[in-house]
Amino acid sequence: MSIKIGLAGNPNSGKTTLFNGLTGATQYVGNWPGVTVEKKSGKYRKNKEVEIVDLPGVYSLSPYTLEEVVTRRFILEDRPDAIINIIDATNIERNLYLTTQVLELGVPTVVALNMMDLIRKNGDTLDCKKLSKLLGCPVIEISALKGQGIDEVTQKAIELAKQRKSQEFTLPVMEEIKVSLSEIEKMIESSKVNINTPKRWLAIKLFERDEEVVKSLKLNHSVREKINQCIEQCEKVLDDDSESIITGERYAYIGNVVGQSVHKAKKGSDTTSDKIDKIVTNRILALPIFMVIMWLVYYISVSSLGTIVTDWTNDVLFGEMIQGNIQSFMETANVAPWLTALVVDGLIGGVGAVLGFVPQIMLLFLLLAILEDCGYMARVAFIMDRIFRRFGLSGKSFIPMLISSGCGVPGIMASRTLENDKDRKMTIMLTTFIPCGAKLPIIALFAGALFGGASWVAPTIYFMGIAMVIICGIILKHTSTFAGEVAPFVMELPSYHVPSAKGVLIHMWDRGKAFIIKAGTIIFVACGIIWFLQSFNWSLEMVDADQSILASIGGVIAPIFTPLGFGDWGAAIATVTGLIAKENVVATYGVIYGITDATEESADLLAMIAANFSTVSAYSFMAFNMLCAPCFAAIGAIRREMGSAK
Amino acid sequence: MSLIIAQEGDVYPIRKITGNDETKRFLNSLGFVVGEQVTIISKNGENMIVNVKDSRVALGQSMASRIMV
Repeated sequence: MSIKIGLAGNPNSGKTTLFNGLTGATQYVGNWPGVTVEKKSGKYRKNKEVEIVDLPGVYSLSPYTLEEVVTRRFILEDRPDAIINIIDATNIERNLYLTTQVLELGVPTVVALNMMDLIRKNGDTLDCKKLSKLLGCPVIEISALKGQGIDEVTQKAIELAKQRKSQEFTLPVMEEIKVSLSEIEKMIESSKVNINTPKRWLAIKLFERDEEVVKSLKLNHSVREKINQCIEQCEKVLDDDSESIITGERYAYIGNVVGQSVHKAKKGSDTTSDKIDKIVTNRILALPIFMVIMWLVYYISVSSLGTIVTDWTNDVLFGEMIQGNIQSFMETANVAPWLTALVVDGLIGGVGAVLGFVPQIMLLFLLLAILEDCGYMARVAFIMDRIFRRFGLSGKSFIPMLISSGCGVPGIMASRTLENDKDRKMTIMLTTFIPCGAKLPIIALFAGALFGGASWVAPTIYFMGIAMVIICGIILKHTSTFAGEVAPFVMELPSYHVPSAKGVLIHMWDRGKAFIIKAGTIIFVACGIIWFLQSFNWSLEMVDADQSILASIGGVIAPIFTPLGFGDWGAAIATVTGLIAKENVVATYGVIYGITDATEESADLLAMIAANFSTVSAYSFMAFNMLCAPCFAAIGAIRREMGSAK
Repeated sequence: MSLIIAQEGDVYPIRKITGNDETKRFLNSLGFVVGEQVTIISKNGENMIVNVKDSRVALGQSMASRIMV
């Protein structure tokens, strides 16, 4: 018998960490709300019969955003056999708001209390047994991060699922509401609707005038009228709208439960997070601090430490060790010279040129992952909101843009967290200007070749991307499609915490792996083709690169780019191949100039480029490649997301 | 008065949340309900970070203006 268990909880309460712990998966976890936008499922590592479904984080079951709809539909329509409701113990009141709604749905539920270590650190106490008794469901303490208690919770959930007993929970309410609810319940009963959700829940939803439930029940007109009268009467007596009445009752109940089970050491003093927030989100200091942090990130990963590692990989690892050895091996094995050239100059030269940047890219992602996991990035969304709003974007657009600094494709996907359709489309269109991981080698290559690794080059290109986003945002805002108000900004800010090494590494790998995979596939093939084109002329004779097919094609395209200052055929070809994947720009140079020469230190790729570009034309080339059309994969993702949005 | 003109560092009980739509529902689920205490942690122009029910929430100007304290 297979069992399906759903993981439900507030955003950023640790669902995905728990999911990874239970299934052994390495889903990406971020320290900001809304990382999981789609439900994901996996098999429980200790019992393959059990399917675990990670649901997007929600604050309640009255759908506000797309992810709330996903979660609610799953519980209502797919009917999991049990639910693990994960709760952030440091924030118990707000988390229990969802719990009361989940319990009402009648699905057997286990509450997993996460982050109890923080409660203890604050000197507070929380009585699990008492809480369990009050809620009427098992409550188990866990630490999702350390993997403590997670198997107990799952065992309990499996046990409950096997008993097939539905969850009992009735929200205690005031007498007036109770009367109305039981009347509505009677009416539901008499109209004989066949839905396997508890009547009490339906009654509450009808009382709240939940449109989706009203529609799905298909009650006849006279019954609906009667229910409405019933609600209005209650509203009149209590002098409030029905929804607020229920919300009030829920919080009153929660307040009572928390009062009996939680004891706070002391109140009033600022937490560490509050203190940090006072500084980093300060009206005057916020932006300078952000700029300095971003400059440091790029300085370390691209200019200083990154260059050292990359130089070693390019010159020693690929230049001498791999390329040199394979060349001598192939020569001694008497392989045809053209094949040796293809493998050594074409494939290894091109792919190597790209792979050489892996350390730099991984370093960049590592730093960004640390910033994200410690909680700073969520603040940046808040800081940026004030600026983004001026040109019609929400601060939440910053998150997709940040992810785009790894790869545009997941960045575009992440735009789903934006509630407003219009904001989302605009974010998708603008994210592609952010220098993605694949564009980074271009920056690094040229910055190293011509600017002597000057530390201002990489950050200025990065800020230029942001500037383009701003300019295009202003332009788009004035078009009729995107005119109008931006959705109001509300976002929960997570507590600051020291990021875990495992989390940061998973995160870094998640974004970096696409780069390595691409190097082995698309770029591998493209390098072969480019090598062929640049080694042969139209009559298929092996010639110097200057007389090759590639040179003649490049010569035709080059004049287009002359106004930009980089009109030689190599640059033209590199730009065009960059459309397939941005890494190709660097790979193309690797092939054209042949890094075989890189063994002699003086004539490496950097020097070749330095010889062919002036500083101005190189900056222009970089800028153009940053800002022109994104790669095919991103264009595909844009089409998918924009299409589905309609 | 509206939360936007409230002072940084001060604690206020919520008196009312204006309007009746999805936004209000969402504010409710985040813990913004009548009678609850809000603390303003920091203000950045019209945007602010507040503490409500032990969690920190960033609010834009249009959201904050609907919360009456």
